[in-house]
Amino acid sequence: MEVRLERINKRFGAVQILKDIDLVFPSRKFVTLLGPSGCGKTTLLRMIAGLEDITAGKIWFGERVVNELAPRDRNIAMVFQSYALYPQMTVRRNLGYGLRVRGTPVSEIDTAVERVARILEIDHLLERKPAQLSGGQRQRVALGRAMVRKPDIFLMDEPLSNLDAKLRVTMRGELRRFHLDLNATTIYVTHDQLEAMTMSDLIAVMHHGVVQQYGTPAEIYSKPANLFVAGFIGSPPMNFLEGEISNRRFLVGDGSLPLPALQVEANAQKAVLGVRPQDLSRAPAAGQDTITGTISLVELLGSEKLVEVQLQNRKRMSIQLRADAFVEMGALFHLRFDPQRLHLFDKESGNIIPASN
Amino acid sequence: MRRLHALLSSDRAVGLLFIAPFVVTAIVFMVYPVVEAIRMAFYSYNPLRPDLSAFVGIANFEFLFSDPLFWDSLWQATVWTLLSILFQTILGVGIAMLLHRALFGMAFFRGLLLFPYIVPTVVIALIWRWIFNPEIGVVNYSLLASGIIREPVYWLSTPTMAMASTIMLNVWKYTPFVVICVLARLQTVPLELYDAAKVDGAGFIRRFIDVTLPQLREVLIVVIVFRTIWTFNKFEEIYLLTKGGPGTSTFNLAVYSFEQSMASLRLGVGAATGVVMMIMLLIGSIVYLRITKFGEEVR
Repeated sequence: MEVRLERINKRFGAVQILKDIDLVFPSRKFVTLLGPSGCGKTTLLRMIAGLEDITAGKIWFGERVVNELAPRDRNIAMVFQSYALYPQMTVRRNLGYGLRVRGTPVSEIDTAVERVARILEIDHLLERKPAQLSGGQRQRVALGRAMVRKPDIFLMDEPLSNLDAKLRVTMRGELRRFHLDLNATTIYVTHDQLEAMTMSDLIAVMHHGVVQQYGTPAEIYSKPANLFVAGFIGSPPMNFLEGEISNRRFLVGDGSLPLPALQVEANAQKAVLGVRPQDLSRAPAAGQDTITGTISLVELLGSEKLVEVQLQNRKRMSIQLRADAFVEMGALFHLRFDPQRLHLFDKESGNIIPASN
Repeated sequence: MRRLHALLSSDRAVGLLFIAPFVVTAIVFMVYPVVEAIRMAFYSYNPLRPDLSAFVGIANFEFLFSDPLFWDSLWQATVWTLLSILFQTILGVGIAMLLHRALFGMAFFRGLLLFPYIVPTVVIALIWRWIFNPEIGVVNYSLLASGIIREPVYWLSTPTMAMASTIMLNVWKYTPFVVICVLARLQTVPLELYDAAKVDGAGFIRRFIDVTLPQLREVLIVVIVFRTIWTFNKFEEIYLLTKGGPGTSTFNLAVYSFEQSMASLRLGVGAATGVVMMIMLLIGSIVYLRITKFGEEVR
């Protein structure tokens, strides 16, 4: 089922939480609302669930406006951050609760519960209470409770954030697999860009109640629409340098760098240059496309080495090198910038200045 | 000398020193009276003739169990306790759920709610005697003026109405206690549980039964045990409002014990009543906690 948001606004008193959100969640896609805490992503998800009033705008499920529909009438299922399992009920009763409330015959409930329990490999836990389960098992029960009713739309509110790092990686893959099996539209909320990048078909990056960019993970990573998206997506984060565009070169401090052809040629425009640590390289000597600094920090990440280079204007840049690269603290380092891998942003608006290719 | 120094400087000694004030107080004001009451229950003791005090075995208990007034008092105490607790619990949970909603002015109401609980019982009983006064009381005045009753109701001078009035007083005074306990618990119930239930399709009543009540279970068990013990033992509210009357129609065991001890000067019988009450409450509490499996529920 397609979900469409039309100029959605949310206000709590004088505080505007969401501003004119227009989004289309295509049928059967896995879409992530990604943003830092307080950006309004959970509020938006709760509005789609019907748990939060809509100040203005319309929410469409397929051809139908659901603004006034109670959560129970939207055929949605939701997985909560805290799992929200009913503590006094066994896993079996937790799983079957939604069906029981709707008056489904007992035999049907049993069949549905056992089917889901088998898929999630929790069939041996059916008679336990939530308190007797581990975090990962609870997570599965919460997921199972959502799956039992065969909803049109899955809503997930940071479902992995209470799990340890290793389990989170495993569950990421599983959630993605379940999504493909279930054939429902999934709307997933997270602040973890890695989760968003690995699981989603589409990502909506949100900040200050506004959708900053909506696109595939690859688009958002390689063509960030503005400074916020550029800085939020990618790990380690993108480097930024403030400077000025002049004669197809970027002037920064006492250095200058070649720029690609821009769609709108600009001169003497204040701009911010962004470059990912992975897109920088090491030059043997200073040249036309390099800036020189001294090595101020070296971090070994395992397969890579993250090197921090302090420029003359005291600005620090990080660059990712192979783990066996030879670097020495305090030594000179020539950073090479590839013009095809730079991102230029207008300093005033923060928006991208697109290249012409 | 060295030994004493070692003892005093050890952690054990410091610990003992800290709990000593409580232990001494408990022995003097709790253990001793209980032991003394149990001892007295087996003695004949007239405060006017202490020299005639004598061990009488279980004679006091035989007197008690053959006294119809004891059985009447036990029955009335049971009715008064059960009805008081029933209404307090229902009202308490209801009011707590109302106050739990974040509505304007609720903080003020919450403060106001404590009022009956903090005013001394003597004051309340006197005020309630005025309120219930058949000729000049505000209850009858309001009921007559609004046409609900045609004749004044004799609130405190007919047996049934006197019992109802004492229950009303008890409910009025102690419902706030239930409200505060329940409210405190309500405020810790995770809101996501309600959201999950809404998404699952549960309406207001289902959410109350499947989310709210299970979360309140433990606090309600504790509240009911305490309120039952306190209400069953209550003396001053009944005595100050009705003096156990009319006749003996609002006697509970505490009033019975008081009357035996102070009016009839049968201190042994009074003490024996106390012992019986203690045993009944002890057994009752244990059975209740067993039935409700208190503390076994894993969160």
